[in-house]
Amino acid sequence: MHHLFPSLALLFQETSRATTALESIKHPDLSKFLVIAAILFIIGVAGVLTRRNLLVIFMSIELILNAANLNFIAFSRYLQDTGRGDPLSGQLFTVFVIVVAAAEAAIGLGIVIALYRNRETIWVDEIDLMKW
Amino acid sequence: MILSGWESVFFWIFSIAAILAGLLTVMARNAVHSALFLISSLVSVAALFILLGAEFIAGVQILVYVGGVMVLFLFVIMLVNVGAEEEGRAAIFNRPAQVTAALVFLGLLAGVLVIYAIPRGYQAMQKRDEAALQQSNAKRAAAENNMDTAATGVSRLTKETERVGTSLYTYASLPFEIASVLLLVAIIGSVMLARTLKQEVAADDVDPDVLSEIKSKSV
Repeated sequence: MHHLFPSLALLFQETSRATTALESIKHPDLSKFLVIAAILFIIGVAGVLTRRNLLVIFMSIELILNAANLNFIAFSRYLQDTGRGDPLSGQLFTVFVIVVAAAEAAIGLGIVIALYRNRETIWVDEIDLMKW
Repeated sequence: MILSGWESVFFWIFSIAAILAGLLTVMARNAVHSALFLISSLVSVAALFILLGAEFIAGVQILVYVGGVMVLFLFVIMLVNVGAEEEGRAAIFNRPAQVTAALVFLGLLAGVLVIYAIPRGYQAMQKRDEAALQQSNAKRAAAENNMDTAATGVSRLTKETERVGTSLYTYASLPFEIASVLLLVAIIGSVMLARTLKQEVAADDVDPDVLSEIKSKSV
């Protein structure tokens, strides 16, 4: 199994210290955070692609950004522990991601309101003026 | 970075909560439910940030995301009043060409990245940093012992926020200023976008042709 599914091994048996899956569950390390962030990211992408409510699509984008933030913070902690690189750059980057997300939400919701006023709908398959 | 003890218990609780709430965000039929589930997902991720020692970011996440952005979302949801719930399964899988293309790329992604590249790179990185990682817990505990105690004497005061603030104003001062300009642009932009026609007329900010059209309609 170790050779067939190395990614599964990433989730359950990757550290040199952890000899069993149980040991690895008891001591989560960087890879667990990365896997959680990847799952959140995939959920967000699936939401963007499948939902038709503009507001829910925006929320899925927030989920995606949040998954990226989790990655930044996890690597920030990893750098703190290993002493490589600037340990706080991940946290700084996260601050900016949050700022950009807030700006994006404000503008996006403004667009949603303007759109609703003009077209009376927020379903993306009815907003097809630019479709040819 | 290796968590242990209660930290790992909380790690599993909050990560599973974050993923479940994220799933429900995408799957809920009602937009208000989606927003509430997204709030719980964001709070769980904030708890993960605290586990990772990023208390400041966790606080910002709760204040900005949960307190600001999500309240804005809820307001807008209630403003646009999405009465009809989303229809169930439209035939999104009934497109052979698209589904085949998606599967091919999924296979490439899984085969090259997930099965081969990422685990190799990760294991190499782990091997490189093994020595440092072994000592990291002891180092962290020692650093924690050096922290000042709080007034009650039970908890300790971390200097994390201070350090984040210092590097924000030294290494990242230019991006910080640019971010403030971005926020200003966002404020002005959203106010401009969300104005009603009446407000635009009051500010004398309407195209003359449109204005005469409105006037002829209202008269």
